[in-house]
Amino acid sequence: MSVWNYVVTAHKPTNVTNSCVGNFTGPQELNLIIAKCTRIEILLLTPLGLQPILDVPIYGRIATLQLFRPHGEAQDFLFIATERYKFCVLQWDAETSELITRAMGDVSDRIGRPTDNGQIGIIDPDCRLIGLHLYDGLFKVIPFDNKGQLKEAFNIRLEELQVLDIQFLYGCSKPTIVVLYQDNKDARHVKTYEVALKDKDFVEGPWAQNNLDNGADLLIPVPPPLCGVLIIGEETIVYCSANAFKAIPIRPSITRAYGRVDADGSRYLLGDHAGLLHLLVITHEKEKVTGLKIELLGETSIASTISYLDNAFVYIGSSYGDSQLVKLNLQPDAKGSYVEVLERYVNLGPIVDFCVVDLERQGQGQVVTCSGAYKDGSLRVVRNGIGINEQASVELQGIKGMWSLRSSTDDPHDTFLVVSFISETRILAMNLEDELEETEIEGFCSQVQTLFCHDAVFNQLVQVTSSSVRLVSSTSRELKNEWFAPAGYSINVATANATQVLLATGGKHLVYLEIGDGVLTQKTHAQLDFEISCLDINPIGENPNYSQLAAVGMWTDISVQIYSLPDLSRITKEHLGGEIIPRSVLLCAFEGISYLLCALGDGHLLNFILNTSTGELTDRKKVSLGTQPITLRTFSSKSTTHVFAASDRPTVIYSSNKKLLYSNVNLKEVSHMCPFNSAAFPDSLAIAKEGELTIGTIDDIQKLHIRSIPLGEHARRICHQEQSRTFAISSVKYNQSSAEDSETHFIRLLDDQSFDLITYYQLDAFEYGCSILSCSFSDDSNVYYCVGTAYVLPEENEPTKGRILVFTVEDGKLQLVAEKETKGAVYSLNAFNGKLLAAINQKIQIYKWTLRDDGTRELQSECGHHGHILALYVQTRGDFIVVGDLMKSISLLIYKHEESSIEERARDYNANWMSAVEILDDDVYLGAENFFNLFSVRKNSEGATDEERGRLEVVGEYHLGEFVNRFRHGSLVMRLPDSDVGQIPTVIFGTVNGVIGVIASLPQEQYVFLEKLQSNLRKVIKGVGGLSHEQWRSFNNEKKTVDAKNFLDGDLIESFLDLSRSKMDEISKQMRVSVEELCKRVEELTRLH
Amino acid sequence: MWREIGDREAGKLRPNSFSNRIKSNRIQTLQLSNRKDIVSPHRGSVNSLQVDLTEGRYLLSGASDASAAVFDIQRGTDYEGGGVIRKHKCLFMVDKQHEQGHKYAVSSAIWYPVDTGLFVTGSYDHHINVWDTNTTQVVMDFKMPGKVYRTAMSPLATSHMLIAAGTEDVQVRLCDIASGAFAHTLSGHRDGVMTVEWSTSSEWVLVTGGCDGAIRFWDIRRAGCFLVLDQSQSQLGRRPPILKRSATIKGSTAKSLSASQSSFAKARTPQTKLMNAKQSPIGKIPVKGSLKQRLHPGMLSSQDRATAHYGAVTGLKVTEDGMYLLSAGSDSRLRLWDVESGCNTLVNFETVRLQTSKPIQLATSQNLALVFVPCMTAVKAFDMWSGKTSLTFRGHYEHVNCCWFSLQDQELYTGGNDRQILVWSPSRSVSDEDEGPKDEDNWSD
Repeated sequence: MSVWNYVVTAHKPTNVTNSCVGNFTGPQELNLIIAKCTRIEILLLTPLGLQPILDVPIYGRIATLQLFRPHGEAQDFLFIATERYKFCVLQWDAETSELITRAMGDVSDRIGRPTDNGQIGIIDPDCRLIGLHLYDGLFKVIPFDNKGQLKEAFNIRLEELQVLDIQFLYGCSKPTIVVLYQDNKDARHVKTYEVALKDKDFVEGPWAQNNLDNGADLLIPVPPPLCGVLIIGEETIVYCSANAFKAIPIRPSITRAYGRVDADGSRYLLGDHAGLLHLLVITHEKEKVTGLKIELLGETSIASTISYLDNAFVYIGSSYGDSQLVKLNLQPDAKGSYVEVLERYVNLGPIVDFCVVDLERQGQGQVVTCSGAYKDGSLRVVRNGIGINEQASVELQGIKGMWSLRSSTDDPHDTFLVVSFISETRILAMNLEDELEETEIEGFCSQVQTLFCHDAVFNQLVQVTSSSVRLVSSTSRELKNEWFAPAGYSINVATANATQVLLATGGKHLVYLEIGDGVLTQKTHAQLDFEISCLDINPIGENPNYSQLAAVGMWTDISVQIYSLPDLSRITKEHLGGEIIPRSVLLCAFEGISYLLCALGDGHLLNFILNTSTGELTDRKKVSLGTQPITLRTFSSKSTTHVFAASDRPTVIYSSNKKLLYSNVNLKEVSHMCPFNSAAFPDSLAIAKEGELTIGTIDDIQKLHIRSIPLGEHARRICHQEQSRTFAISSVKYNQSSAEDSETHFIRLLDDQSFDLITYYQLDAFEYGCSILSCSFSDDSNVYYCVGTAYVLPEENEPTKGRILVFTVEDGKLQLVAEKETKGAVYSLNAFNGKLLAAINQKIQIYKWTLRDDGTRELQSECGHHGHILALYVQTRGDFIVVGDLMKSISLLIYKHEESSIEERARDYNANWMSAVEILDDDVYLGAENFFNLFSVRKNSEGATDEERGRLEVVGEYHLGEFVNRFRHGSLVMRLPDSDVGQIPTVIFGTVNGVIGVIASLPQEQYVFLEKLQSNLRKVIKGVGGLSHEQWRSFNNEKKTVDAKNFLDGDLIESFLDLSRSKMDEISKQMRVSVEELCKRVEELTRLH
Repeated sequence: MWREIGDREAGKLRPNSFSNRIKSNRIQTLQLSNRKDIVSPHRGSVNSLQVDLTEGRYLLSGASDASAAVFDIQRGTDYEGGGVIRKHKCLFMVDKQHEQGHKYAVSSAIWYPVDTGLFVTGSYDHHINVWDTNTTQVVMDFKMPGKVYRTAMSPLATSHMLIAAGTEDVQVRLCDIASGAFAHTLSGHRDGVMTVEWSTSSEWVLVTGGCDGAIRFWDIRRAGCFLVLDQSQSQLGRRPPILKRSATIKGSTAKSLSASQSSFAKARTPQTKLMNAKQSPIGKIPVKGSLKQRLHPGMLSSQDRATAHYGAVTGLKVTEDGMYLLSAGSDSRLRLWDVESGCNTLVNFETVRLQTSKPIQLATSQNLALVFVPCMTAVKAFDMWSGKTSLTFRGHYEHVNCCWFSLQDQELYTGGNDRQILVWSPSRSVSDEDEGPKDEDNWSD
């Protein structure tokens, strides 16, 4: 790894923080606008559902999102304010389908303290002003002029220091706000103020209400004719206006979100912290409020935002679970719920922890995240690959081979699908109703297994069985000619193309036939040294029907040989090495380069570059694709050739920029595949897997596929143990049924394939699982799960007691082998030189695994190191220990074997509040901190003075805009030794918003090039709302703001590929590099994720 | 703590709320540090303390023995008590022995706000020295007309490098490091100026507190002062101040409020006498005539005579958010001012007695809204909105002169006449200390 880092998002944020509904893209169009922290999505309501229109990044974390309609406008404008005090007003341009910036600006102030309770942005219902509460004690006003333009902003002093919510009241002649606040004594009140725009000050408002519910946290302004405001508390809901006050008690709950149902404001949807959806009705007579009613509708994801769309359709945006589109029914279902979930939108957030596992040992990681919270907690398996869109499937057991055939040579579509079984051959064909039904080709022998089938010239078909080769007319379906294997010899393997057949019989014989009109002629015959395991004569030369070369794989000497056709003379012989025989060979050409692919019985694939004139094999490379024998087949998609490697880990091999690339197919074991391009299923593949025949199309790009394993509880820590093939998770179950909310903490063991719960271990009351680790110790061959816990007692500020539990997995049970009490919370556990390294409150402690006299084992403390505020995050490498402190950035410790002690080597003296650390290489360490920044520090072991050596030098700084919870080394894509990206080390991170990102350490030359490209892209790609990319990526925390350095924004760089040609040209001119070269280099980067 | 960390991880607690909450929790447990010990080399009372603003790593102290010292507060020089107690000896000290050192007491020692390459000391020997930290040589010195009480540099300034100096003289001088000369003299005070403080929201605004009881605000780009705080002005425009309003809500605060008002009334008579006595030296100042012309346009002369305290203003501190000013006076009162309106917020701080003869250095913490005030031999932390004592720090044997609060580490540094510099840090569970010996017992088993 290096100091030059490239940060890119592999999975975009999915945590929905805000949403609103209005006529944004057109006066008649109803839109749903969703904010996912750093992105906005614009959707259109259609009779078919929600149709996405635009999904754009915002250079800021969205704090508020509001639609409003200035006077005289036919459609709504969008107001966005970001957490770093920028705002913009956006309008939809229907012609270009783009967002236009109507206004933008900076609303930061030198004075005032940022609010603790989150920023508030509100717009006067009569569009007279925008109000912002960003700093304690200040209310910022941006007035509109008569033409709807924004005027200069000013501040008004707000004496209420602890503001919980502010809203504009409807139906007031002067703009009036209602403020919900908490006083010094923690009592909550509301108060109203009129905004006097001329005096730039407040005037006492029409009413106030003191001493509300202690949990009052949310204000809902009620539109005319009723006006007034609803104050939502934890135990009561109050309607308040100048002349009315109505209250109802509710079941204790924390209301998180609301959505207004009717334009007149008489009904509201309320979503609480348990995911229950209520309907609140304001009953009224002649515009006079008579009371409130509340009714439970049902359960949804825990809502962070609710938008009532239309016709009882409601969008539920969630931070803790999947967002949903629900329908409210008039009649309850069997369970008494009025809520029907129509659609779920995946949300990985909050990713609290994750692990990267390579369950197939393929060099490609899949990420298993602890996602969601409360009842919506789940594990998500995120895996990169090519998807198959299943279109039809049939149950068929024991498929041994599959080929598609055309009904005539010039038919562009395939008609027949020949499926071979151990003792029969069945033929499927598309009937007139576009259904697949069994048919017959009379000339084919259907009582035996078919070894190979192919279309041949002159409207013929070829079938090879163990005894003969049959030539059949594809029109009359009658047998025209048959070639029999010599008596006593049966055909073992065979291959064919349109004009040639090559087959191998027992006794090491290789026979070459040519196909004429109605005749099969044996041209040559050769006896080889050993038995033949596989053959291929796929034409790669100029004639698509005739191959000059044949590839042959051999038993016994484990080699692959190239023979020339038709004379069957050996040109090349290549020993493969090892003891695994080749099971499938394939000649193919990608981008004008010919390759010989050779798949072995153990899931390895060898590839060679083939010189077609000399038959020479060069550039041998070996990759591992799976563990089972592979069958290779070509198929074409988008008129380019790909190779499908069917095995236990199906893979697609393709070429880009003259490099072979490998992509996983998002399927479990596939035994056979053949392209099946029928009229009903164009460009499809027929895939045989696990007793099933599937027909489907294949995605042309690889993307992340997410599998969800709902837990119903909140998983906090996860780790994988290869030996026992299990995952251990530490989770919390919230019991909300009882009067008082209680929590139970578990360690759960899951199977790493099925994710079934194997067993669990319940922690003590008040005991929290804080860390989990799979490790082994020196002098002990067993593998253990170690769990660090903390006793979190309500009266204690900081845990003073915890445990380290050591488990083994035996017969599907978690066996507690050892237990060690600690003097604090075990925030982190690491395997360290055959010992256990624990971070316990402010201390780093090393434990030895020792054998007692009675043969049992125990953890014994060896040495420790004080001097942290809280050592929360620890990573180790060799004898080095890198500690991320609660508030004191990164420090580097070293373990001294001779003295058996830990010493501090160096530290970063900045006051960074850490959220994750990782070691990039021996000298460079990566940190994520509390204010959404990334930074890297470097050890300075060559420093001249003690002071220099004792200081970790900050080498990189970057504003990510995401709260990182965890870094892990690993990769989401297959890392193969022959690709350039295979050499680039990467770290994966997971964030609260559900982002999975990749940090790649680039060589300096590439970094410099991309930095130049980034600065050019900044000039060409303008941020939405005119927000500056440079400012957005500048490192920013409470203490300082400095320009980003040594980190590049991969999302910006990769957006180069989406630019129009003219803009690409512009950049190419600036860079003095051709567009093709730029595309090639950027495309290479996209393969990092 | 674990619960908060868990909530932050899951996005239930905003990161800034998280850090504020942790800071507040830690500040509440401040006590005399049992892990960190500053070895004071001073042989006179410690008058001034400041931790550098860039790294929060170096503590600068100034003392009455004409010395100033720098300590590394992040990295100990040696350890005691089995590595648990960290000793911080000074990295260097400049005193009378230094050829360029001060002759008399150092009353003020401050860091150059931009980096730790320079620091500034002001002394009773009428000099302000600017030191190069690395060479410990004086690179610049300013001769002042009298004893220097306090110096200050703006933490925000990007376009000037001015040291504001309050001295025995009535004029406040701005010493320009860039040119080595006085940039401005600010006239208005009628007696010596004990305390100077730059605004935390504008690099041009300076606040000064004089022995004449006045607190003056200056915009250094313009002539004259633009605001003189008046202790009797307590209305915030049309809208009553928050405390008054909360007083109407809550009976309890109303009581304390009326109590404070009555105590004002009582205090008035003797204090005005003191004022009259102080009037005479002002008469001697010849610049008085020109004072009228220097008045900020629109400011009435009656406003110019307003006082903030009965007696000298001994300490000033602007809150970090730039919205409030705290002042301490020789009348043993502490006042909280709303900077924008210049109003006295009438918070009744429960001070007992403050030192009267010397300037005192206050500190504030935005978290928990605390103000740390040296109250004779103790330091008290008052709640800024209620005025109630939240924490009391007793440890010095003699009067405390100065305190500095480091928000970065949530630590309080105090210096007093007993020549000691004490560190007050968030208490830690001491339990993990005895883990070592206990494990050793296991060892021998």
